[in-house]
Amino acid sequence: MGLREDIHHSALGSPIGYSAVIGYSVLAVALLLLFAVSPALAHTGSAAGGFVGGFSHPLFGIDHMVAMVAVGLWGAFLGAPAIWLLPIVFPPVMALGGVIGILGVPLPAVETAIALSAMVLGIMVALAARPHVAIAALLVAVFAIFHGHAHGSELPSGADAVAYSIGFVAATGLLHIAGIAFGQLARWPLGRMAVRAAGGAIALAGLVFLRGIG
Amino acid sequence: MSGLASGLLHPLMVPAHVLALVALGLCIDLQARAARIAAGAGFALGVAGGLAAIAFAARPTSAIDLLLTATLLSGALAAAVLPLPSLVSALLAGLTGAALGMDSPPQAISLTVATMTLIGTGIGACLIFVVATVAAGLLRGLWKGIPLRILGSWCAASALLVLALRFARGLMFE
Repeated sequence: MGLREDIHHSALGSPIGYSAVIGYSVLAVALLLLFAVSPALAHTGSAAGGFVGGFSHPLFGIDHMVAMVAVGLWGAFLGAPAIWLLPIVFPPVMALGGVIGILGVPLPAVETAIALSAMVLGIMVALAARPHVAIAALLVAVFAIFHGHAHGSELPSGADAVAYSIGFVAATGLLHIAGIAFGQLARWPLGRMAVRAAGGAIALAGLVFLRGIG
Repeated sequence: MSGLASGLLHPLMVPAHVLALVALGLCIDLQARAARIAAGAGFALGVAGGLAAIAFAARPTSAIDLLLTATLLSGALAAAVLPLPSLVSALLAGLTGAALGMDSPPQAISLTVATMTLIGTGIGACLIFVVATVAAGLLRGLWKGIPLRILGSWCAASALLVLALRFARGLMFE
């Protein structure tokens, strides 16, 4: 067994400790500040090249953003190992969706699925639902494909495509981490209510997005 | 800027090179001591071979696609925390080094400056690889190694997106 033991044990270990909560909270505050300057819907086709363009792209679409945060929030109720599996697994699955979009393979009702993802994930958080981790992972993976498809078709083909992709993936991952950070409040009764209320708000936002599409 | 300094900084100036070195550092740090040593040797040999190849190349190569493929592999292996045999570690590091070297043609008009740039690129790439591996070692002790796995996942996802983009635009291995 060549693998280092500390990492191996972590795969089977306990939930993240308080130092993680502090770190996640710092990231969450940073992203909440970014939230304040993100008024537009996603997928307007205005993607610019470079890291900044890629990083800002997911943050300038509230439908995408609330769904990503909801994934993190849900992780708080799902507990280990889902809470840390989500930010590891979601980006590659979303990238697979991006590949489908880049290759021009059509998916039906992409924008509807994205709005639905916010509503469904918000409901899961509001209800503090704890289905089997495989069911939760499947649900999130399906939504990840649609989110990736929508964004993948907007990736620029310039020389800075690498920087754009790094920024895009990092921003999406940080949105998850922001959700996980906020979700850590669920350790306390009042915080649990706040997290569930946030889930309800996200579900309502998803409903608004759905009506906007219709 | 002298050729040597320009070469030293070259791997830091190209996002694909930085991504590849970070992904490889994350992946190799997780391996056993023998595999890490083999990877270090493989990387140094790969970079030297790649730079020698580009020095004698008659035309530009499509090494960027090989580099992105190696990045995808390294990132995925780091995210999955998979142990590798020494030989596989050395091959992965060697592939990354060779692709990085072949994707670093010097922008110089004199042979002396071009040679110094290539030497600088080789030294710079090896130094950044070492730094990335040491940094990954620090991350491994943080929050049960989860940030390390997340970074590996992000590297793999980014590389996958760019590979798909290059394929769709007809740029792959052209």
